[in-house]
Amino acid sequence: MTSPILRLEDVHKSYGALQVLKGVSLTVQPREVVVLVGPSGSGKSTLLRCINLLNPPTKGRIWLEDQEITAPGVNQDRVRQRIGMVFQEFNLFTHLTALGNVMIGLVKVRKMRKNEARDLAMFELERVGLADRANYYPAQLSGGQKQRVAIARALGMDPHIMLFDEPTSALDPELTGEVLAVMQKLASEGMTMIVVSHEMGFARQVADRIVFMEGGVVVEEGTPQQMFEQPRHERTRAFLRNIAQ
Amino acid sequence: MELLQNLLTTFNFIVQGLWVTISVTAVALTVGLAIGLVMAVARVYGHPALQMAVSAYSVVVRAVPVIVIIFILFFVISRYVNLSPFWAGALALGFASGAYQTEIFRGALQAVQPGQMIAARAIGMSRLQAIQSIVLPQALRLALPAWGNEATLVLKDSTLVFAVGVPEILRRAQQVSARTFEPFLAFGVALLLYLALTLITTQALQWLERRYRLQV
Repeated sequence: MTSPILRLEDVHKSYGALQVLKGVSLTVQPREVVVLVGPSGSGKSTLLRCINLLNPPTKGRIWLEDQEITAPGVNQDRVRQRIGMVFQEFNLFTHLTALGNVMIGLVKVRKMRKNEARDLAMFELERVGLADRANYYPAQLSGGQKQRVAIARALGMDPHIMLFDEPTSALDPELTGEVLAVMQKLASEGMTMIVVSHEMGFARQVADRIVFMEGGVVVEEGTPQQMFEQPRHERTRAFLRNIAQ
Repeated sequence: MELLQNLLTTFNFIVQGLWVTISVTAVALTVGLAIGLVMAVARVYGHPALQMAVSAYSVVVRAVPVIVIIFILFFVISRYVNLSPFWAGALALGFASGAYQTEIFRGALQAVQPGQMIAARAIGMSRLQAIQSIVLPQALRLALPAWGNEATLVLKDSTLVFAVGVPEILRRAQQVSARTFEPFLAFGVALLLYLALTLITTQALQWLERRYRLQV
């Protein structure tokens, strides 16, 4: 039994009186792919933002590898370097080319030299199949290409775990395939991933575990087979049946 | 023939103020740019107390006529600090322009998509790094059209330093006019010089806008 790469213990998050997360505990093993599903407003995205401390939890603790990242005095910027994040809306830096988007973190955060950073950035773009688009600006790329650049940008930081927040929800249906293919490749290369997604085909094929959230708590979790074929909770069954249609 | 001779003499005298006008404007715009950028970042990203202080500066300075600020620097401050009329005038204009530029850059910073800051933080940038490398470069591009407008306004406001005796275009025009009793010729030359300066400025800024346009 290896030690977990990520461990959440009773994580709460409130905005004023609004309680979004009401005590989530979750353990993720290295190389594991966890797909997080649940109705909108169930707290999936909030949970991802708690994990990389963009919106730190109001209560509860999180460990990344051996470090408690919710402890006071932790350098949050350093923690975020180890956690890649991919957003629904891509959020590519609009004033930079695809190459520039991948390079800037390498230069500013990892303090690499320009030509070193350029080589690595090109390598990451190749990994997502976009080396030929290196000098394009985000506005000149399709949605699927933008999202793949965003994945390359995150990979450039050499993350130990990747978070995907509905990575294909803003895409036209015919473009989701190329993004999912890149994610599947990452998974097969052994990247630890937490994916918020409604792509049930992807969940079935790639996920090691599916976690169903509702109302700010984890209702049920299990392997794709368990979750799709014999979910224990009626709500899980209803949700998965709905989404499969 | 005599008219042409007059025109040439008038022009030669007034055009010596061209460089002064350009210098006053350049100093004012640069000082205003520095003030505007720092203040706007403080206004948008600073501690609430800092935000209040910046708002106060911006409101007060914009409420005071620029000429009054010039007089304060020239007649009051220069009693304690050695300020030539040129520097009193140029700094006063810069101080005033700083308030307007603060508002220009504040608007531009707020117009940058929030996702840009979030994505920058997500790859491990500190807040300051994200502002420097991601948000500001985009905000500067967004600010260019409004900033170009401010540049032409400061160019024209530079005539105000005439009140403390700086020999710029307008003051020289007035001197010629008083001597030759041909105000039309004198102020006509001044007008043409300002027109030329404004055209050059706007053309240069439009080129910058095209060069650095954000693709959206």
